[in-house]
Amino acid sequence: MSKWFARVGWRHGVAALALVFSLFPIVFVVSAALNPLGTLSSTAAVPTGASVGNFGNLLTDTDFARWFGNSVLIAGLSALASVFLSALAAYAFSRMRFRGRRIGLLALLLIQMFPQFLAIVAIFLMFSTITDLWPVIGFNQAWGLILLYLGGALGVNTWLMKGFFDTVPRELDESATMDGASHAQTFFRILLPLVAPILAVTGLLAFIGTINEFLIANVFLTDTDAKTLSVGMYGLVAGERNNNFGMFCAGTLLTAIPTVLVFQFLQRYIVNGLTAGAVKG
Amino acid sequence: MTALLERETAPAEAPRPGRGGLAGPLVKIALLGLVAGLAVWAAFPLIAERAWTGLAVLLAATAGLFYLYTGRRRVPAKYLVPGTLFLLVFQLFPVAYTAATAFTNFSDGHRGDKREAVVAIQTASVTRVPGSTEYALTVATTGDPATGPLTFLVTDPATRVVSAGTRDGLEELPAGDVTVNATGRVTAAAGYTLLNGGQASARSREITGLAVPTPGGAIRSQGLSRAYEGKAGRAYDAGCDCVRDTTTGRTWTADEEVGAFVAADGERLAQGWRVGVGLSNFTRLVTDAAIAGPFARTLIWNLIFALASTGGTFVLGLGCALALHSPRVRGRGLYRTLLVLPYAMPSFAMLLVWRDMFNTDFGLINNLFGLDVDWFGGAASARIAVILVQLWLGYPYMFLVATGALQAIPPELSEASRIDGASPWQSLKRVTLPLLLVALTPLLISSFAFNFNNFNAIYLTTDGAPFPADNPANGATDLLITYTYRLAFGGSGAEYGFAAAVSIFIFVIVAVISTVSFRRTRRQEEVYS
Amino acid sequence: MRIRTAGVVTALTLALAATGCSGGSDDPATPTSAAPAGAGGKLVIWGDDKRAAALKPFADRFGQENGVTVEVQAISKDQQTTFVTASQQGSGPDVMVGAHDWIGNLVQNGTIDPVQLTAAQQQGLAPNAVKAVTFNGQVYGVPYATENLALIRNTELAPEAPATMEDLVAQAKKLRAGKKASELLCLQVGQNGDAYHAYPLFSSAGGYLFGTAANGDYDKNDLGIAKPESIAAFQKIRALGEKGDGALKRSITVENSIATFTAGKCAYLVSGPWAVTDVKKAKIAYDISPVPGFAGAKPAQPFLGVQSFYVAAKGKNKALAQEFVTNYVTTPELAVALYQAEPRPPVLTAAYDQVKGADPDLAKFVEAGRNAVPLPAIPEMASVWDPFSKAESAVVGGADPKTALTAAAKTISGQIN
Repeated sequence: MSKWFARVGWRHGVAALALVFSLFPIVFVVSAALNPLGTLSSTAAVPTGASVGNFGNLLTDTDFARWFGNSVLIAGLSALASVFLSALAAYAFSRMRFRGRRIGLLALLLIQMFPQFLAIVAIFLMFSTITDLWPVIGFNQAWGLILLYLGGALGVNTWLMKGFFDTVPRELDESATMDGASHAQTFFRILLPLVAPILAVTGLLAFIGTINEFLIANVFLTDTDAKTLSVGMYGLVAGERNNNFGMFCAGTLLTAIPTVLVFQFLQRYIVNGLTAGAVKG
Repeated sequence: MTALLERETAPAEAPRPGRGGLAGPLVKIALLGLVAGLAVWAAFPLIAERAWTGLAVLLAATAGLFYLYTGRRRVPAKYLVPGTLFLLVFQLFPVAYTAATAFTNFSDGHRGDKREAVVAIQTASVTRVPGSTEYALTVATTGDPATGPLTFLVTDPATRVVSAGTRDGLEELPAGDVTVNATGRVTAAAGYTLLNGGQASARSREITGLAVPTPGGAIRSQGLSRAYEGKAGRAYDAGCDCVRDTTTGRTWTADEEVGAFVAADGERLAQGWRVGVGLSNFTRLVTDAAIAGPFARTLIWNLIFALASTGGTFVLGLGCALALHSPRVRGRGLYRTLLVLPYAMPSFAMLLVWRDMFNTDFGLINNLFGLDVDWFGGAASARIAVILVQLWLGYPYMFLVATGALQAIPPELSEASRIDGASPWQSLKRVTLPLLLVALTPLLISSFAFNFNNFNAIYLTTDGAPFPADNPANGATDLLITYTYRLAFGGSGAEYGFAAAVSIFIFVIVAVISTVSFRRTRRQEEVYS
Repeated sequence: MRIRTAGVVTALTLALAATGCSGGSDDPATPTSAAPAGAGGKLVIWGDDKRAAALKPFADRFGQENGVTVEVQAISKDQQTTFVTASQQGSGPDVMVGAHDWIGNLVQNGTIDPVQLTAAQQQGLAPNAVKAVTFNGQVYGVPYATENLALIRNTELAPEAPATMEDLVAQAKKLRAGKKASELLCLQVGQNGDAYHAYPLFSSAGGYLFGTAANGDYDKNDLGIAKPESIAAFQKIRALGEKGDGALKRSITVENSIATFTAGKCAYLVSGPWAVTDVKKAKIAYDISPVPGFAGAKPAQPFLGVQSFYVAAKGKNKALAQEFVTNYVTTPELAVALYQAEPRPPVLTAAYDQVKGADPDLAKFVEAGRNAVPLPAIPEMASVWDPFSKAESAVVGGADPKTALTAAAKTISGQIN
């Protein structure tokens, strides 16, 4: 028994504690979502009334389904593209030595530091012109927003990946090069499979980051049809003294679904992307 | 810009990775073709708008891409350019533009240029001539509905007399030539084509721009079915570069220093324009006692907050990741999914939930633990509370990253050390942690930088509270960024110029800290080389 | 095998190159054909989510009648800033829907144009609403609904409307002693105060924010916050606060005040028309009366907020926007529909008369707002909210009114000048 505890049991203990910490605020969201009287008030942990009315209203009274689709599309595409761009850059930063490399890395980080609420003005300036010239990638278009989000593709995620690329022994690519592989082949065939777990993690992080992004999406997407979940849902509580907390909480729970699904999907890469086989290469 | 699935032709004798000997160049050609196609697509609107600078940039960028990817040199650039292009356009440009506003008076009331201010002043001063007629209006033309010269057919509702108004003045039409309906609007007029709603709205700008001069002022449209006689109360006079009140004769002279029209007694017109103000936003930051006073205190707390959030989430996240990093733990998948949930929920919603949980009388935390703590009322408790919330929100992120990192570490390494007789704890300390830190230090730095500027974490929970009774501008949990926000947007309008100046200042602080810690990563980076 | 792969890739490449090129060659046609349609007649209206939804059918009808397309778009947050910034860059709407206290800021940015209403149209609107949208002698928006605070009470617990604040507190204390309600009063304060909800008490006790200039507008040079009258008013508020009766508490917040009332934990709620929906849903027997003032003091004056339609100065289709705002919005049908979307008293007298019979609460809210003062629309008011609210919160928590108000006044005047 004590051996079991030392090997496995404590792990369950830690996980259970973490679960309690993680889940108890979420219990209130569930409670509020089931409560027919919309409130975010956490006076009671147990729902005072249980009904799925809020979920029903959400689907019938709002364009929730549409927001959901938009969000998944935008977050999915920009996560994919941004992981790809990030990986390319991380490869260069990790494997190659060139002038301005470390400055470049630092610059990537520092650019992200500028407060976004100030950048809104510049974004309007830029996209007003873009909308006039190329409406397909202008305001209210998913493509425009994806492009805008890709501006942030090189950033924290590049740092993250670069760190992981650094942990992959260099001998691997060197031996591949010896075998006559080009740098591109080394990258796509050798390195990428090795770092699959971190690609999955950054992909998930990018997905979550985009699906929760609010500040830019709020000004970028004004058409009801074009809105994303975070913008549409904020509208439920942000309109002048609206009190749609119940619907809002229902929506919050539903918003977590795509993320959880993406996580489920990526988890096997995170877990099975073990490098053992590749090292033997 | 996916032009980059860059694959150099592998030498023919390449033994192992040679599966796609031809595929590489073909993919490359395809992608370059796509780039060319996109460039052509993008060029047409630029040509149509005669945006030659834009076209030149587009051509140069396309040519640059072709040059880069058809050549064999500059390999790092091939990997960096795609992301960098996006970065330049969508991040660097906004940042540079914002930084530039720090040297202007850009703020509410000073957003546009002088010409716009003059237009706004004159438009806002147009009032109806007292006692004048309220006309029914029909927009007509003597020529083609889309291009012919515009005429206002206005009906005096009392007499039902119809007059035709143009830029040259008002002319009465013979009653026999026109048909008027019950509301007074003209339904037919000899020699005129009446514009329907769609046609009229297509020429909206011309219609609102048309003023039919009258002895008392001018007849202007109000919508498409009514017109009124109005008079501009203020007019701009280029001679004296001033705005003059047409009835009282009072003048406001343009002051290019402040970007406003100012009267002799110092009264300013509200509609101003944007001018350069040099360094004055920066000097205000340093000299204004209300701002400079609490700055040091805020900075110290800000550092503590960022360090505690980053460190705390890292320790928690890593702990959980290590605990679950064992194939023996059943239900790992479920645990992981549930642990990620706090991160999957929209953070602004959860911040609001947490704020509510810290409520003194109704909050869950006090109720559950039988406490009576005024959490956001005391500086220490409020700071603990916001850090706790930040831990909750942030540790799943670290958990995920650490999980990924642990998986990426070749198990051989720790197995090897295990075989050497090291205890699990020792092998963790000697093998796993150092490798993890190689991977995660850059991330910790960036996480620190993110938390240093974590606006929502404060804005949506305490909003800076508690505030001392004698200073409503700076609270105990204020970060520099929320403090800036309040300074810049809490006043009588948004002060972008000033906010940009403060942001640059904060930026410099973060940059210094990050650079210093970044220098320390140099050695780690070379772990395998 | 290899050849086949190559063949597929070649074909794909050609196809890609072809789509790339054809995309390019097709396109010159698209802007040219799209341009006249876009410029021909499109009216873009911005509002918050609820109003956008309510406006949609009417906007569509207006579009059909006039042969134009009308787009109603919702801005979920920061409507005012977004409107100003977007307008400045030429991406703004033609018509904006928003609160009347934006007017000062919108005018200083040259974002909206005055509207010219006929005498008949003006007479059809509630006079206090017209006054609220008048700024520097010009009417800047067409108002359609008002809102103000009132006292909503649980008639099972408190059958009689209290005449004064003192009455209310005495009644509530009895209820609390009898374990019928745990809170004395649900009036939201929150950690950082709430000037809007505090104002009725503040005004009743004699305090004032801005003096009045000769033309009837607020005078930004006469800041009343640290004047003796205002300090005396805050003394009375302090007596109701946590160190006094406990009727005002910082733990009652925007999120929980209505919920606490609907849960039956307090008998009195100070809130606006937006609260009624929830109160009804909770099946609470309620009645609405004016917010009571202090005994022997002035009547309590809540703020009057007026929702309005504005014509954007930099809109692309101003003539149509004016037509919509001045001639279409002033029809009772639209006002009734907006009322149904959110039950606030319509400004248009004809519409108000039409709906008041079915909804007795409306008249009670209007009655409660009889003394209401329009929210100050001068841009300087933006500097007042935050410091004033924080002073209120500090005083409710037991701080010295003079210190708190002096600090607030100092911050405010530092920002105004």
